[in-house]
Amino acid sequence: MLSRTAENLYWTARYVERADSIARLLEVAYRIHLIPNTNEGYLSEWDSILRASGIKEEYLRKHKEINKEKIEFFLLFDESNNSSIKSCIVKARNNLKMVRTAVTLEVWNTVNSWYHELENYEQEKYTSKNLPEILDWVKRQVNLIKGTIDHTQLVNDGFDFIRLGIYFERADFTARIIDVKYFILLPSSSFVGSQVDNFQWSLMLRSVSSYRGFKWAYGNSDIDYKKIIDFLILSNICPRSIFFAVDKINHHVNRLCQFYNSKNVVHRKINTIYKGLLNSSAEQIINFGLHEFLTKFIDDIGNVYHDLEIVYFSGTQE
Amino acid sequence: MYNEVFNKNKVRDTYSSIMSWAKSLPYNVVVKKKLQAENLFKKIGITFSVYNNFDNAERLIPFDMFPRIITRLEWLNIKDGVVQRALAINAFLRDIYSKCEIIKAKKIPGDLIYKNPAYEIKMIGLNVPKNIYSPIIGTDLVRTDSKSFKVLEDNCRTPSGVSYMIENREIMMRMFPELFQKLNIEPVDNYSSYLLDILKTLTPRNCDSEPNVVILTPGPLNSAYYEHSYLADTMGIELVQGSDLFVKDNITFMRTTEGKQRVDIIYRRIDDDFIDPLTFNHTSVIGVPGLFDSYRAGFVNICSAPGSGIADDKAIYSYMPEIIRFYLGQEPILPIIKTYKCANKNDKNYVLKNLDKLVVKEVHGSGGYGMLIGSTSSKAKKNQFYKKIENNPENYIAQPILDLSTVPIFKDKDLAPRHVDLRPFTLIGNKKTRLVAGGLTRVALKEGSLVVNSSQGGGVKDTWVLRG
Repeated sequence: MLSRTAENLYWTARYVERADSIARLLEVAYRIHLIPNTNEGYLSEWDSILRASGIKEEYLRKHKEINKEKIEFFLLFDESNNSSIKSCIVKARNNLKMVRTAVTLEVWNTVNSWYHELENYEQEKYTSKNLPEILDWVKRQVNLIKGTIDHTQLVNDGFDFIRLGIYFERADFTARIIDVKYFILLPSSSFVGSQVDNFQWSLMLRSVSSYRGFKWAYGNSDIDYKKIIDFLILSNICPRSIFFAVDKINHHVNRLCQFYNSKNVVHRKINTIYKGLLNSSAEQIINFGLHEFLTKFIDDIGNVYHDLEIVYFSGTQE
Repeated sequence: MYNEVFNKNKVRDTYSSIMSWAKSLPYNVVVKKKLQAENLFKKIGITFSVYNNFDNAERLIPFDMFPRIITRLEWLNIKDGVVQRALAINAFLRDIYSKCEIIKAKKIPGDLIYKNPAYEIKMIGLNVPKNIYSPIIGTDLVRTDSKSFKVLEDNCRTPSGVSYMIENREIMMRMFPELFQKLNIEPVDNYSSYLLDILKTLTPRNCDSEPNVVILTPGPLNSAYYEHSYLADTMGIELVQGSDLFVKDNITFMRTTEGKQRVDIIYRRIDDDFIDPLTFNHTSVIGVPGLFDSYRAGFVNICSAPGSGIADDKAIYSYMPEIIRFYLGQEPILPIIKTYKCANKNDKNYVLKNLDKLVVKEVHGSGGYGMLIGSTSSKAKKNQFYKKIENNPENYIAQPILDLSTVPIFKDKDLAPRHVDLRPFTLIGNKKTRLVAGGLTRVALKEGSLVVNSSQGGGVKDTWVLRG
C-alpha cells in the first residue's frame, strides 16, 4: 500500500475521532449550564475544556473573554480553530478524498454526506439552543462512519491504519482530559462523599461518555478517585480508557507486523507501553504521581506515533 | 445541417425505437429520472473542477439521457480510421525524434517541427520503449453530412473523458434497463482492462519481471482527478502523486508501507513541463526529481512520452493525410477539415478577409479557450483577432465554421436538437491495438452553440455502438 494512502486513512480516522471527542466535551459544558448556582464551576469548566482540546490560547487571542456562546461557536464552526468540529470534518473528508478508492463507496458516502449536511447547521445563526441537536448529529454521524468502516471495509492493512488513527487519537485525548483535571483526583483534595467531588467526578466521566458505564462496572454506591483512575486508565472494558486504546493500537501494530512479515521499533515500543499498563494498579499510578504518569504517557505514545510515521509513512526503508 | 435522428421529418430506422421510447416518457418521469441521474453522479463523486479565479468548486458535468447511436457500419469506418491515425502518429513521433525522414523527403517543412514549442529536443535520439510514444489517443470526430465522420483534432498527450464514457453507460443501464434488452449494444466497461493490457506491453529496457504500472496524477485539485482515481481503481493499480515517487541511482521507486517498491511503467496525467523539475520546469512541485534520467536510462517508461504533444499540434494537423501516406502507404480513411494556415501568406489573407465564416484557433490552445467563432462573435472580438493574426500569423489556423450534426436532448417538455461531437479512445501497445466500441459524445447544451467543451457549458451523452 502507498505510504500516502496509509497516512491519509490514518488522519481521516483521527479527525473523525477528534470531532467525536469535541462533541462529547461540549455536551458536558451544556450540562453544567443546566445546573443552577455553579457560576464559578461553570467558568472553570470552560477553561478546562479549552485546555483539554489544546486551544485556549487560540481562543483568547481571538475573543479575549470566556463567553459561553462564543466558545461553543469556536469549537463547532470556527475554521480558524484547527480542532473545531467543522475543521475536523473538512480535514477528514479532504484526507479521504485523496484516497477515495481505498475505502468502500459506503464509507465515502457517510463521510461525504457528513460534510454536506454540515452546511444545514451552519446556515442558521448559531445559538446555544441548537447545541444538543448539533451534537447528536455529530455523534450519530461518527458512529455511522465507524460502523460502516467496520462492516464494509476489507480487513486488510488499510483497515489497520484507520483503526490506529482512531485509537491514537483516543489515547491522547483521554490522557489530556484526565490531566486537565488531575487535581480533583488527588487524595488531598478529596472530601469523601462530598457533593462537590461527586459532581466533578461525574463530569469527568461524562466528558468521555463513561458515566453510565462506570456505574455498571462499579455499582451505584460509592464513586471514588481510585476507581475513576482505574476505570479511565486501566480498564479493559471501558472503550474510552487509555488501556483500551493502547490494547487496540498494540493489536493493530501486531497485525501489521504479521501482514508485512517484519517486526520493528513501533512494535517493540507499543508492546512495552501495553505491558506497563497491564501490570499497573491505580495505587501505583497515584504513588508515581498522576500528573507525572499522564505526562510520561502522552510523551511515550507521541514517540510511538513518530516511529510509526518513519516506518510506514515515509516509505523509503529497504 | 445533418440531423442524426431525423431524415427530413421521418425518424431514421436506427433511432426508431429510442424515439418512440423518448416520446412515451411522461414529463414528470423525465424530471424524476434527470434528478436521479444527477444524484447518482453526485454520489459516486463524478465531478470536475473548472479553473477560474473565483472558485475551484466541484461541479457536475451535465448529463443528457437521450442516447447517441452509431451503427455497426459507421463504427467500422471510425475504428479503421482512428487506428490508422494512431499508428501514423506514433511512426511520425518516432521519426521526428530520430532520423527525420519525413523532413528530408520534404513532406513537411522542417521549421514546423524544429521551431515548434511542442518539439522536445531532450527526446532526440532517446530510445522509447517499443517505439510507442503515445499509447492513448483520443480523436475528436464530427459529422456534417450523411457521409464519413471527419477528424477535428487528435489528442495524444493525456486525453480525458473516458471515465464519463463508462459512467454514462453505467447510469443509463441503472435507470433504463429495458432499453438494453431492446437493442444490442456494444459494452464499454472493458476499457480499463484493455488499457492495463496495453500499458503492460510497454516495458522499459531494464524490466524483466511483471511490470509495476502506476498512474501519476497532479492531485485532487486537477479537473480530471475523478477520472484518474476511477482508472486506477478499475485497473487495480496505485494512483500516485509526485511526492509518492523518488528516484535513486536512476531507478524509480514508490513509497509504500513496506518500504520502497520499484515502478516500471507510469501512465502520467500531468503535463510534460511538470514531470521532472530537474529536467523541465524547475518550479514544478508535482513532479519527480530525476524521473527523466530514470526514463533515459531505461528503468522506467513514461506514457505518453514527453514531446508527444507535437503530433496533436494544430499546425501539424493539416499535414496528417501526408503523414499517413508517408508512413503507412495508405490513403487516410477519415477526412480532415479544410485548414488555413495563417503562416502561409495566401491563407492568411483569405482568413483576414473571411473572419465571419471561419473558426480561428490558436495553434497551441486547447479546451475551447483562445478561439474565435466568426459567425457569432462580437465585432470587438473579431477586430482583436484580426490584429493578433496580423502580428503573429504562425500562431493561428482557421477552419470553416462546421455545421455539426445534431442529436436531441430532453429540454423542458420537448426534445430539442443540439450539436454533438464524438471522441473514441484508441490504445496502441507493442504490436497490439485495442479500442472499445464507443466513445464520449459531447453536446453543446445551448441552442445553436457549437462549443461542446465541458469547461464552456457542454454536456455529455451515452453513446451506443450497435452490434448487428
